[in-house]
This record gives sequence, C-alpha cells and structure tokens, in this order.
Amino acid sequence: MATKVLIAEDEKNIVESLSFILKREGYEVSAIFDGGQVLESLTSSPPDIVILDVMLPQTNGFEILKQLRGTPQIAALPVIIITAKGQAQDRATATNLGADVFMSKPFSNKDIVAEVKRLTSV
Amino acid sequence: MARAPIGLKLRERRKALGVTQTALAAKVGVSPSYLNLIESEKRNIGGSLLMRLASELEIQLEELDGAADRRLIDDLGEIAASPTFQNLKVSPQSASELVGRHPEWARALTVLYRTYMDRDQTVIALADRLNQDPFLAAAVHRMLTNVSSIRSASEILESVPDIEPDQRERFHNILLTESDQLSSVAEGLAAFFDKGVAPTRSISPNEEIDDFLQEHQNYFPELESAAEVLASSLQLREQGITTALSELIEQRYGVTITYAAPGSKPQANQTSLKGVAHDKRMVLAEALPGPTRRFLLARTAAELALAETIDEIIEKSSVLTSAEARRRATRVLTSYCASAMLLPYDRFLEQSIKLRYDIERLRHSFDVSLEQVCHRLITLRKPAAEGIPFAFMRVDPSGYVSKRYALPGLPIPRYGGACPLWPVYRAFQTPGMVNCNLAAFPNNDRFLFVACAVEKGASAYGQHRPLLSIMLACEALYADQTVYGDTLSTGARDQALAVGPTCRLCTREDCGHRQEDLIVAT
Repeated sequence: MATKVLIAEDEKNIVESLSFILKREGYEVSAIFDGGQVLESLTSSPPDIVILDVMLPQTNGFEILKQLRGTPQIAALPVIIITAKGQAQDRATATNLGADVFMSKPFSNKDIVAEVKRLTSV
Repeated sequence: MARAPIGLKLRERRKALGVTQTALAAKVGVSPSYLNLIESEKRNIGGSLLMRLASELEIQLEELDGAADRRLIDDLGEIAASPTFQNLKVSPQSASELVGRHPEWARALTVLYRTYMDRDQTVIALADRLNQDPFLAAAVHRMLTNVSSIRSASEILESVPDIEPDQRERFHNILLTESDQLSSVAEGLAAFFDKGVAPTRSISPNEEIDDFLQEHQNYFPELESAAEVLASSLQLREQGITTALSELIEQRYGVTITYAAPGSKPQANQTSLKGVAHDKRMVLAEALPGPTRRFLLARTAAELALAETIDEIIEKSSVLTSAEARRRATRVLTSYCASAMLLPYDRFLEQSIKLRYDIERLRHSFDVSLEQVCHRLITLRKPAAEGIPFAFMRVDPSGYVSKRYALPGLPIPRYGGACPLWPVYRAFQTPGMVNCNLAAFPNNDRFLFVACAVEKGASAYGQHRPLLSIMLACEALYADQTVYGDTLSTGARDQALAVGPTCRLCTREDCGHRQEDLIVAT
C-alpha cells in the first residue's frame, strides 16, 4: 500500500508541484488549504507523514503541530514544517514543539522528497 | 500659569525711547530703585502705576500683559522640561526673561523645537516602518512563496523528461503566474524605497538598552550566580530578609539607611548620581510597601556588592555606545540582580510551572509585588531551563511606555500608544484585577495578553499613589501552559480579540478604534 502524505499549505502552486513530484515517487498525496481543517482530517484519516506550512489561514502550523503532538492517536506522526519565516526563533519553536524537520522556503524538491523518504522508511 | 514679563518689556521700551530710569521714575512718582526692581521682575506691577508707566512710554497695556506672551512662556517651559535638554539644566523661570528681552528669539526657539519634534517623530515612524512594517513583512513572505513555487516548478520541468504535455503546460503556467506576481512584489518594494525611506534608526539610550537586553535574551548567567552567592551570604534570622539586607548594607558597606516621612523629600531611595557607595547613605520612604522596600534594599545590596560583575558585562557590550545608555544599563542590571536575589531562578521557574504562571499566586508565594513577578518571568531564558517566552510592557494612564521587552512578532511601541484594544489600557478601569485576552493580529499571529493595573510607591493618607498598568504577552500556543488559557480556547479563532500593533502600522482599515492614519502602503 502506498505511503500517504498530507500537505497542509495554502499556496496552490506549491501544493501542485509537491504533489506532482511526490506522486511520481509513488506516494499517495492529499492536500488541505485551510489550517482549521487539518486536525479533523488527521484524526479521521491519518496519513503516514505531514508536510505542514506555518502561515496557514485560521489556525497556524505551530498551533496545529502542538495539538497534533498532544493527540495520542496521531502524536507520533512525522512532521515536516515548511515556512517563509526562517528566523532562528521560528526554528527553535518548531523544534520545541516536536517538528521532525524544519525547511525554509524556497526549498528544493529533492530535499523535501529526501526528507519524506527518510522519515517514512521503516 | 506663567507671568508675562511686564518689567522687562518696560525696560526694553524705555531704552528704545532713550529715557533714563531716573527720569522715568520721577515722571511716574516712584524712586529709581523701585522702578529698577519692577524692571528686574522683582516686584509685581499693576493698577494706576502700570497705567502711568504705559502712558509715559506710549505703549498699550495689552502689549504689556499679552496672552500670546504667556503662551510663549508656557511653550518654552515645556521645552525646558523636555528630556532632550535635561543635561543643560534649562531653568523654566528664565523663559520669562527670554520672552521679555528677545521675543523673536523665543518664538524662533519654539518653532525650531516643534520642527525638531516633527522630524523626530518622522524618524521614529520610519524606523518602525522598516523594523515592523507589515507591508515589508508581507512582501518578503510573498517573494519567498513565489520563489518557492518557481523553483519547484522549474526543477520539475528540468528533471522530468517524460512529463506529459498538459502537465508541462501547467508547470509553464505556474512559472508565468508566479514570476508575474514576483515582478509585482519587486516593483512594489522598489516603489516603497523610492519614497525616500532610508534605513535610519534612532539610537536613543533607551533603544540601546532594548538592543542590549535582546542581545542577551534578558538572561545574564553571571548575575544569576553572583546574586545567588550574595543572597546565600545574608545572615537570615527570624527577622527575615529585610533586616538581613539592611544589616548587610549598613554593617558591611557602612551605608546609613534613613527613612523619610510621607510627603517629605526625597520620597524614595533617591541618592545622588554617584550612587550609594559614594554617598554612604540611602533614604527610603517610610511608608513603602514591604515588597518594594525589600526590592530597593536588594538593589542597593547588589549595587554595593556586585558592581564589578555588572560593569564587566556592560564593558563587553558593543551596543551600549553612550554614557547615558551605560548608566541606565547599570541600573537595569542592578535591578536584575535584586530580582534574582529575591526570586531565585530554579525555585521561581519551578513554582511558575507548578502554579501555571498565575501571577497573583506567584506574588503571594514569594511575597513580592505583581510587577516584580512579571519582571522575573521575562528573564526565564536559561538554556535548557526556560520558561514561557514573555513580552512585557508597562504604561502610565497617559499611555507613556515606561518599560518594555518585545518578542519577535510582537512589537511593543517605544513611543506613543499601542493598539487601544490591548488589555494593558483596559486594566486601568479595574485596578488590581487581572485582565486576559487572546488577541489576533492582522497577519493572523495570535498572542495571549495578561494585564493588571497596580499602584506604585509609598502609601499613606493624603499621598497620591500613581497607577501603572503592566502586561505580559506570549504566543497563543503557550496559553494552555498558563492558568489564563483555561478560560480561552486557542483553537477557536472567533474568540480572539481583533487587535493591531499601533494604528500607524495596523492594516485593519475598518477598525472603529483607529486614532491615526495608516502610514504604510497596503
């Protein structure tokens, strides 16, 4: 069965490119554009890994990450944080909240695919 | 109200007419020496004598006692009281003399000062614009997003040779639309800088202190250790820490502590600029609340015992460039030591976590003031033993910001007011009561605000105690670690109060509380 990747990102073009490249690598990709719907989606149909943008409408990525880590059913999910906020403070916040990887925009497709592979390989 | 300089005007007019003091005195029926006292502003004048003098000198009474002059004197008084001139020790009383003798220079001075203040405000606005401008922040975010899309799409086009024609076209379209948007953002940025905004930055002593504290993240391990050693050296007996601190100051350092009665001067712990070590005396207001008295004693103990450690930190700093900034930094660090003595780091952090940052319970737990608790909370930045990162703000009822510690993403204004919806202002309506709110900014950043108005200073019948409002703020994601988060749902966006930074920088154009126009492009 294909590994499931959820992309939570409100920029449709970024989602399209990431979806394309991940699907080519054999992943099953779904996307959510609104931060307020991410947790519901994660609990109702948990993926194998989440690519989470910080600046999402409604609920931001850090708040989602915190709630995710506090929800036993999905607490162990690998999470890649992607953001245009590349400050050291944001990186520290992501790490403290339990992000597996923090990537500043603009990132390379190769890097993000490599991280997805690394975090989902058994 | 300022008195018009009638005597000086009489003298100027008499001299202009070439009349001697003796001759004029004879004509109006007074002695030359009395006229001299009048002209020197040492005697008040009015009634028939003033009318006789005005008549002899052919001058209108209104010219002698004009409201315009009084306004001018009041304006000069305000200038004299400005912090800009504090080192010049300009006497407000001499304003009357200047208006009387050189009214045109007095007017020139007020015009010059107003122009200077306008320019100063402009510089502050420009500095804010560069540091906190939502337009710049949004533009940078937009650019990075565009570049990210372009990079990703171009990598696909370059690295996937067997891409389907319709997909190829789709990614070409992404390149086109994203690069088009990028061009617009770049043009907007170019226009922004073409307006003549220079990367200016006010460097007042207070701003240097801000930079200094931010550089150290408001945590000084050397001072924590030194304060701990000093606190452990106190001879604590049943009389408690106040007595122990007093004994340390008096017996080890030979400083005499005296107590001033309510209403007498000095009111608090005022010593000369040379400090208590030089003066060998410390004056405390008799009616100070216990926590304030303990804090002032601890600060004096730190000033006497830890001066060398504090000086070393200040000497090493590259951001404290002026003597005034170094002097203020010394005071800030001395207060830091006092706080560290009364609220030892590890125990205070442990209690803060246990009591879920309830500032009132922490206050009672350590028998300190609410402000001392809030101050200490913003210093809990020890690596691997950190508390919640808090911002801090203290304002008086006029809105003047007397203390501030900002957080990334939460700019606290240096000058003027913040958003009028911040609870730090509402707290004045209910002194002593803690107000808290989850606040949402226009860029969707959310913060927990906790504010309380408190009385400061000595307490006695008939003594006015100024009210100050203090506020802590942290990112919303930490709210559930605090007792204040229990009543707030961080997930429900509609519960957040819609606020902004300051009106000048806030993009909520339809806000009914707007006091000033937005200065930034949207």
